[in-house]
Amino acid sequence: MSAVLEVPAEAGSPSRGGARAAVLALARFEARRLLLSVPVAVAFVGYVVWIVWHGRNTWDGYPALQDADRATQNMPMLVGLAVLLSANLAVLRSWRHGTESRFAALVVSPWSRTAAHALSVVPAALLTAVCVAGQFTREALKPGAVGHGSPAELLVGPLTVLLFGVLGVLVARLVRSAWAAPLAVVCLLFLFVLGTGPSGTDGVSWLAPVVTEPSTKTLPSALLGRPAAWHALYLAGAALTLAFLAVLAAGGRSRTVKAGVALSLALALTGGIAQAARMSPSPELTAARERASVSPEKEQTCVERGGSRYCAFPEWTARTGAWAGVVDEVRSLAGGSAHGQRLVVRQRLDARYGLEGDAALAPSEAAHQVTVGTSWGGNRVPEFSTAVAAVLVAGSEKASGGMCDGRMVTVMWLSLSWQDDPLGALRRVRLDDSLSGSAVVLSPTDPLTMTEGQTDVVRRLLGEPRAAVAQRVKAHWAELTSPGVTTARAAELLGVKGPEKADSCEE
Amino acid sequence: MTFTVSASGLSLHYGGTRALDDVSLRLTAGVTGLLGPNGAGKTTLLRVLATAVPPDRGAFTVLGHDPGSARGRQEVRRRLGYLPQTPGFHPDFTAFEFVDYVAILKELTDRGARHREVRRVLEEVGLGDVRGRRIRKLSGGMRQRVALAAALVGDPGFLVLDEPTVGLDPEQRMRFRELIARAGEGRTVLLSTHQTEDVAMLCHRVLVMASGAVRFDGTPAELTARAEGRVWSSTERDPGAKAGWRTGTGSFRNVGEPPAGAELLEPTLEDGYLLTLDGTGAEVAA
Repeated sequence: MSAVLEVPAEAGSPSRGGARAAVLALARFEARRLLLSVPVAVAFVGYVVWIVWHGRNTWDGYPALQDADRATQNMPMLVGLAVLLSANLAVLRSWRHGTESRFAALVVSPWSRTAAHALSVVPAALLTAVCVAGQFTREALKPGAVGHGSPAELLVGPLTVLLFGVLGVLVARLVRSAWAAPLAVVCLLFLFVLGTGPSGTDGVSWLAPVVTEPSTKTLPSALLGRPAAWHALYLAGAALTLAFLAVLAAGGRSRTVKAGVALSLALALTGGIAQAARMSPSPELTAARERASVSPEKEQTCVERGGSRYCAFPEWTARTGAWAGVVDEVRSLAGGSAHGQRLVVRQRLDARYGLEGDAALAPSEAAHQVTVGTSWGGNRVPEFSTAVAAVLVAGSEKASGGMCDGRMVTVMWLSLSWQDDPLGALRRVRLDDSLSGSAVVLSPTDPLTMTEGQTDVVRRLLGEPRAAVAQRVKAHWAELTSPGVTTARAAELLGVKGPEKADSCEE
Repeated sequence: MTFTVSASGLSLHYGGTRALDDVSLRLTAGVTGLLGPNGAGKTTLLRVLATAVPPDRGAFTVLGHDPGSARGRQEVRRRLGYLPQTPGFHPDFTAFEFVDYVAILKELTDRGARHREVRRVLEEVGLGDVRGRRIRKLSGGMRQRVALAAALVGDPGFLVLDEPTVGLDPEQRMRFRELIARAGEGRTVLLSTHQTEDVAMLCHRVLVMASGAVRFDGTPAELTARAEGRVWSSTERDPGAKAGWRTGTGSFRNVGEPPAGAELLEPTLEDGYLLTLDGTGAEVAA
């Protein structure tokens, strides 16, 4: 080395932070660009619009928070894909535009830049967390909300964005082509759609970021049996592993990076193995599901309201008021002893297959007992109202099952006439959303059937003043609720034109 | 004499090609020109001095720091401004964003101070008014000034400029000369160029490279003096000339060994440069 006289030529130079501060500053710079990139900005705008639109759905005013938390997981997948593409392009930027030769002579090394790119994904994940929190809070603040959300389930959305983002960074470090990330997206979709079942029953499906079940039923949170916390750990570990691998691939071979790879891989494996081990429900969970399904009375809390008894699982006790409101409305329109009939409204569910099965509940054989499910709002209200009316008319759910005579007219009028939009409720309670012809009528247990003639008569009755019809219902209650009464006779008693054809449930 | 850059025995091979051959040099404050034909090794030397590529052999220091070690390399990079031959730009960035990005990569992490510094260098290169414009919308000359601003940000003690005036029109080149001259005040600038006029106008010192080695190291006047008595005029191209070309007056300007009685002309830096390359195997014919 030549002898040299040093010249300190740095007087007045701007002050410099260390390498770590530079990585954080670069991460902030890249994060801002990432959030403002077209795919990510569009994805977030779409996400927010979807949340607002979804939240304005007035039918869904009674969320169960153990479902609402999982409902936050799907849209972040789209945000995650946008972040994957944009983060990938950001890493490739210096290669695509030939600035790598300049940057090679700068202080911040390529692997530090990669670390900054990985960190730049974090604000997108945090913004997703804000959206998730907003969506969930909005549901939780609805007056009809029940149940408990899981923080681990709420973490899935943000962690998915984080995972996809660092995957984009890693792909860019491994393949210097702008086509690699879109191909990775296609491969991921192919893998998720075809490689795993949607059921979440096997360990493979739980390797996907978001695991959805085919069932739409709501279970008590204690009976869900989803390994949500382990899944969140798995996702966090996987995201960290990909991030450290990207730094490693960019030349960061420090002990810290290698230790980071090992530790994050251990986290991912721990989460993955633990969630796979919990695919089959534990004996305790199986027993709890069995108890809730077969003998719910042992798990429920009952309250008396307006002369009836309402028995609900602990998370649903706040909803008994809404049920009682329906019972009171229907019963007030009934005549005879049904007007003061004491009912038992019991919440029932079939949790034996967890979220896998979607089997219908069998009608209750107990006299004056009405089944109510775990969902409420929207179509569930006229369905429950119909079940209450059917029990008041037939005596039990079992007895109302085979009802195929003029009593259906009374049942449906009792069920619908008190509602704000009786014809709308009629449409919603029928399986085919029709207002004419025969149709299956939904209820919490076995469905009922309306003939074409009964539909016509009910529609005419709903067009009449409610007070006048109610008076006739009460006056002719005994005959209107007698097994075998024809639809024509019921129409005659209620003062509207009857059907031209005889009743037939086979029509 | 105080040296800001000192290199000794720098050699670098690309496959079987010797890109640098035992290069030794010492640079002081001010603008030093680096001349040489294509393939002479100028860009390789600049890349080595800019720590973008390590030499196979030899060593050098920049402002007292030895880039042979990782720590020393970082210290050199903290004091370095490098404008590569094809700098590349991020077209979607504004001029401000691009220079700001480079500033971060130079570890200027305090956001307020960094932004002030970015504004300062953009003003210095005359881009203060267009700093918010996307680079893809800037002219070639403006882009080159963005690249210079990126090299200048952080007030580096050693500035390496690889053919910064290539592709610029005369007015832009004149503007760039002003900038480089200003940049050379109080810092060391190594300017690689094909433009001997640039060297004549800007540099207090000039290096001529050919075939990976330094063939001349001296002042521009000394390089010009090499052609003293070796430039002459004739009505026809002199077959004995190393190089000759018809001038605007219709007579030939010849460089080489003049015949007896030849009408000698005042030499230029370019004449000295061409004669320096003579015998190096480099193409010297004009």
